[in-house]
Order: sequence, then structure tokens, then C-alpha cells
Amino acid sequence: MKALLASLILIFAAEGQLADPQEEARAQDLMREIRCVACENEPISNSGSDIAVDMRERVRELVAEGKSDEEVRNWFAERYGEFVLFRPSSHGIRGVLLWGLPFALLIAGGALAFFLRRRQTKADVKAIDPEDAV
Amino acid sequence: MIEAGHFAAFLALVFSGLQVGFGLRTDRERAGLFAKLAFVTMLFAFFTLIWAFARSDFSVELVFEHSHTLKPLGYKIAGTWGNHEGSMALWCVVGLGFGAAGAWLLKTGRPAFEARALGIQGLLSLASLAYLLLASSPFTRLDPAPLQGSGLNPLLQDPALAIHPPMLYLGYVGYSFVFALAAAGLIEGRIDRDWAKAARGWALAAFVPLTLGIALGSYWAYYELGWGGWWFWDPVENASLMPWLIGAALMHSVIVTEKRGSFAAWTALLAVLAFCFSMLGAFLVRSGVLTSVHAFAVDPLRGSVLLAGLVVLGGSALLLFAIRAPKLKPGPDYVAVSREGALMGNNLVLTVAAATVMLGTLFPLLAEALGETISVGEPYFHLTFTPIMALALVALPVVQAWAWGKADLSSLWKWAAGFAGLVAVFWLAGVGPLDIPLLAGVGLAIAVWLIFGAAQEIWRRAKTVERLPKMPMRVWGMTLAHAGLGLFVAGAVLETTARTQTTLALQEGQSQEVAGWTMTLDDVSSIEGPNWYADRATLTATRGGTKATLKPQKRYYPAARMPTTETAIHKTGTADLYVALGDGRRSREGETRWTFEVFLNPFIDFIYLGVALIALGAGLSMVGKRKRPKTTEAA
Repeated sequence: MKALLASLILIFAAEGQLADPQEEARAQDLMREIRCVACENEPISNSGSDIAVDMRERVRELVAEGKSDEEVRNWFAERYGEFVLFRPSSHGIRGVLLWGLPFALLIAGGALAFFLRRRQTKADVKAIDPEDAV
Repeated sequence: MIEAGHFAAFLALVFSGLQVGFGLRTDRERAGLFAKLAFVTMLFAFFTLIWAFARSDFSVELVFEHSHTLKPLGYKIAGTWGNHEGSMALWCVVGLGFGAAGAWLLKTGRPAFEARALGIQGLLSLASLAYLLLASSPFTRLDPAPLQGSGLNPLLQDPALAIHPPMLYLGYVGYSFVFALAAAGLIEGRIDRDWAKAARGWALAAFVPLTLGIALGSYWAYYELGWGGWWFWDPVENASLMPWLIGAALMHSVIVTEKRGSFAAWTALLAVLAFCFSMLGAFLVRSGVLTSVHAFAVDPLRGSVLLAGLVVLGGSALLLFAIRAPKLKPGPDYVAVSREGALMGNNLVLTVAAATVMLGTLFPLLAEALGETISVGEPYFHLTFTPIMALALVALPVVQAWAWGKADLSSLWKWAAGFAGLVAVFWLAGVGPLDIPLLAGVGLAIAVWLIFGAAQEIWRRAKTVERLPKMPMRVWGMTLAHAGLGLFVAGAVLETTARTQTTLALQEGQSQEVAGWTMTLDDVSSIEGPNWYADRATLTATRGGTKATLKPQKRYYPAARMPTTETAIHKTGTADLYVALGDGRRSREGETRWTFEVFLNPFIDFIYLGVALIALGAGLSMVGKRKRPKTTEAA
């Protein structure tokens, strides 16, 4: 009877962590990337709503089963739609646009600035006293 | 009383119109006079609102909707701008305030330019006043007057959040004056060194409060939401980060224009964009479009008017820019390896970073409009924004020593070796005693690199200890701001990578280990405040010989029917031990278990200290140049 009670308490405290600290850390990182479906713009790691508690538990279960990060994310995306992932997919035109545009802008902007300047500048440029300015 | 305020606001509208008229006819004196009059009348109108809130005059609809007699006086007053209409009134006051300050302080020796700038500033104020009075008037009466108000959002009943909006608006609206200066300069086709000298101070005057406003909002979110973090890449936060990044680019670019006359068109463009992004931020937050494009339908008029204003304003400014920019005079030549090149790199990174934040923030809206719902959050920004910014931070200490025109690269290998060594040290330490991920090691190396770089730069300029106190304020400002950036990076890296989060479930008298601390729940009691009641837990945390008492609360505001968390924070010296009280649940045996979220947030103070230093540095560099110290040797 005592053992049963103890296990009941354990289940109640199942919000408790995974035994392996590395797995727990991985689970917590994933929880910060998965969106609570009942809240406004919150990851499940922050939310106190019941569904978030359930979702957190499911993350721990999947991690304990040895699923990779990608597999855990896919599991949630299949069940709730891609909306729950704060890390949107990088596949397809949409993904390439979203993930690639910042770096493309950086490279294109750098190249543009470099060539524009080279076209304007003539030979011989002298250094100016740097003390003159901040 | 409120009718007098309403009338004063109309009067301010008329004065603003006169300011525009005289300004565009280049009558500096009269434009300045009406700018001051408009400000004073609008300030009076705003005070009538504050007065109504302070006295809980529920015959004013706005007060009825957003206040309550049980609220402490300070929060009654802060309630004035804690809502849409009141915050628009504040926006108008600040805009007119900048116009009046411009009328008073602008002394460039070019009255026609000043008059035009005041005229354009007046035009912006006129538009916001018209919006206030026609689409969101705060001066509406209720008859009969209700006996009690329906309360302010309790989350907003907080000192940091009471002064957060005014700070943010000082920044946002401050850029309207920079915009006006740029537009006036473009009209005359003169964006030159004199122009930049005048505009630089105003760009800094907007940057400082914007920085502080964002930091206050972040600090509020940290201790009030009970989520443990300090930046959530929430669209509302991103909306304020975009103008900040553009403003940071502007304050660097304007230096090139001031010192060399180069980058004139680019500086003018940034000045225009800084205010456009400020308006975009206000639009995103005010229209409710952020949570969903469907929320836009909730109040289509306000959103549409703001959006139309943004499009008209941005469009006409960009058109003006497109016509005038090719005619601006270029500065002297420079090669890529020069201070001009370095600051161009700075601007490239900051504008691309702003574009990245915009992309991540608006992408879900675009996708939703096309019928897909996706989310873009923290992981996206960590993998795009952060590495892009890191590029600039690594380069900063090296390139800030580059000379104008053409820099000497002979010491570059020393810098490269220094940085490589620093990264190696932190990587090795990360594997060993610090137990942090390798990338965090790089982040910490960058933080130390920035602080070292700031110290090195001021030493390079001063050369001797005696000259150190005589360095111009703007050199000190730059040094402090860059060192603050380093401190911020250190805090951000440590907090993001080494934060721990644990959920506890305790009965009274029980204890549990968390992150080296033994947490004991002594008791949970019910307490009552002026307009709330709460469960308050008393926890004793012990580690070794140290002991701390933490009293987190879960508050309930009956007037607003809304619970809030009041976190308890114990500063350990190196970290925040941070506890948020969750729910109490009765177990089978009839005992109540209380859940707690316990965070250990290492070095989070570095983040806020760093940002405060950035603001202080920017503020100091507004202070005029002192006479150069007389030295016999040639510099």
C-alpha cells in the first residue's frame, strides 16, 4: 500500500525531470521551441496551462524513447500542425526564403557597397589623422 | 476640465497647422513660436487627462475603462498612457515637445533649413493630432458617470511598466525630428557636414530613451511574467528592436557625414527609415495585427489609418530621397580598408540585422495571409540574427582604430592572433571547469574582446595617463558604450546557455534540491493588497552557509478577474535565484502541493548593466566637444 502511494505521488510529480541530466537538458531545449497551442505566443516551457503540461510530458517521453530532436519536432508538427514549431521548416521555397534571405542580403549588400565604392574611387588615397574623430 | 483639455488639443492642432505653414514658407521665427505654443497647449490637454485619472473622474470614458478607485495614485497616473487613446495623446505631446525643443535649440546659422525642419515636424505632429482627435479621442464623456472604473490591466501595475511607454515614445517620436531634419536637408539638397553636426545630437537624443525603454520592458518581462527569460523574440519586442537597430546604424553613419561629408545619402535614408520603423513598431503593437492578421479586423479603422499614414509618409520620404540623393555631393575618396569602410560594414550588419528581425516578425503574417499558419521564434533568431551581429562584434575592436581614407593593416596579424588566442582559452575552459557549450565559449570570447577593445581604443587615443581625463566626452561615450556592449554579450551568452529551470512540487515543510540549493517550503498564506489578494509562499533557500528567504506570490485582481505572478528573486552575487509560484493542488491525502518554477539565471545583471552603459555612453557622446588639450607634441 505504501509503495502504491509512493508511486501515485511519483505520477503526480511526473512534471518531474528525466533521470539522465543530458536527456533532461535536451528535453528542456525542445520545450522552448514548441509553442503552447492554448496560449498567446508562449513556448510550452513557460506555460502553466494543462495542455502545456501534457505536451511537456510528451516531449520527455519521446526524448526518453531515444527520439532525435528532429523526430520530436516532426511528431508535434504532424499532430498540431507546423504552427507549434518556433523553428520553422527550412524546406521548400518558403523555408529557403525565410532562412536564406538574411545571409543573402548580407552578401549582396556587401558586394554592392564594395563595387559602388570601387567605381567612384580614383587612385591614391591618403590616410587622415584618426584623432580627428570618434 | 476635460472639455478644456479637448479644446486645448484642438488649439494645438491649429498651432501645428500654423507651424507647418510658416515653416514651409521659411519663416523660422514664427514657425518656432507656434511649435512652442502647440507644445504648451497640448501639454495642458494631457495634464487634464492625467488630472482626470488622478481624481478617478469616471465621467470620462477613458478613465472609467482603464482605472479604478482602489489603484495606488502612481498607477492611476500611469494609467493615463496605459491604453490606446492615452498613449496616442502621449505620442502627440512628445512629438510636439521635440518640435518645441527644436525651435528652442536648433542653431545652425541656416534659418531657412531650420524653418523647413520645424514645418515638417509640424506636419508629423499635425497628422498624429488629427488621428488622436478623429480616430481615438481620449476626451469622451460618459453620462451618467459610473461609480466605479473597470480597472487597469494588472500586469501593467508595475513601476517599470509605468515609465516604459514614455521612454519608448521619447525614442520613437524622437526619430520624427531626425526625419524632419533629413527631409528638410533633402528638400534643400544639402546633406553635408553642417547638417550632420546638427542631426547627430538629435539622433542620440532619440537613441538613449529608446534603449532605456526597451531595457525597462525587458526587465519587466523578466520579473513579472515568471518565465525566467529576458528576451522572448516576441513580435511586440521585435517591433521596438527594429528602430533601435536602424537608430544604432544611423548614429554611426552620421559620424562619417559629420567628419568627412561622405555617406550623405545613406545617412539621410537611415534618418528616414528610423522613424518609419518607429511607426511600423507602433502600428504593429497598436493594431493588434501581430497575434494574427484576423485581429486586424477587431479595430480596422485605427489599424488602417496608421498603416495608411505609414505608407504615405514613408512613400513620400523615399520619393523625395530618390529625387535628391543623386544630387548630394560625395565626400573625399577612401578605400575599403578605412574607417569609412569599417563604418559601412557596421551599417551593413545593423541594417541586415534589422531586416532579419522584420522578416522573422512579419513572415508568419504573410504566411497566414496565404493560408498557412507557421511560427517564427527564438531558434530562428539565434541562428540568423546572432551570427550576423557576431560578425560586427568580432570586427569592432580591430576596425575602430582604422584611419579615415586609408588604414594601415600592418598590425592586423596581432589582432587576429589575439582573438584566436582568446577563443582558444574560452574553448579550453568550456571543455574543462566552466561546463558550457563550445559556441558559448566563442560568445564569451567576443564579450571579453569587446571590453578589451574599448579599453585599448581609449588608451590608443590618450597615449598617456595624464591625457586620459582630458579625452573628449564623445570618446568616453563611445568607449563606455562599446564596453557596455561587451558586458551585455557576456550576460546574454551566460544567461542563455547556462540558465537552469526546474519545476518543484512541495507540501508545507518539505524540501527539495535545486541547482545546489535546498529549497524548503515553510508555509503558504493568504494576503491582501489595495486591489488584489494573493497566495504568498515563504521558501527558505540554503546552500552551504548562506540562507535566503523568498516570497513569491500569485496575485488575483478581482476588478480585472486576472491572476498575475509576482516572482521572488534572490541575488546570489553571480546569479539570480528566481522563483515563480504556480498552482496549489490537493493530493489524495488532502495535503496541498504547491508547484514552483525555479530558475537559476547566471549573470543576468550584466545584461541590464551593459545596456545601461550603452545608453550612458550614447548620452555622454551628446555632450559637446571640449577644447582639445594643448599638447606640444604633434598628435
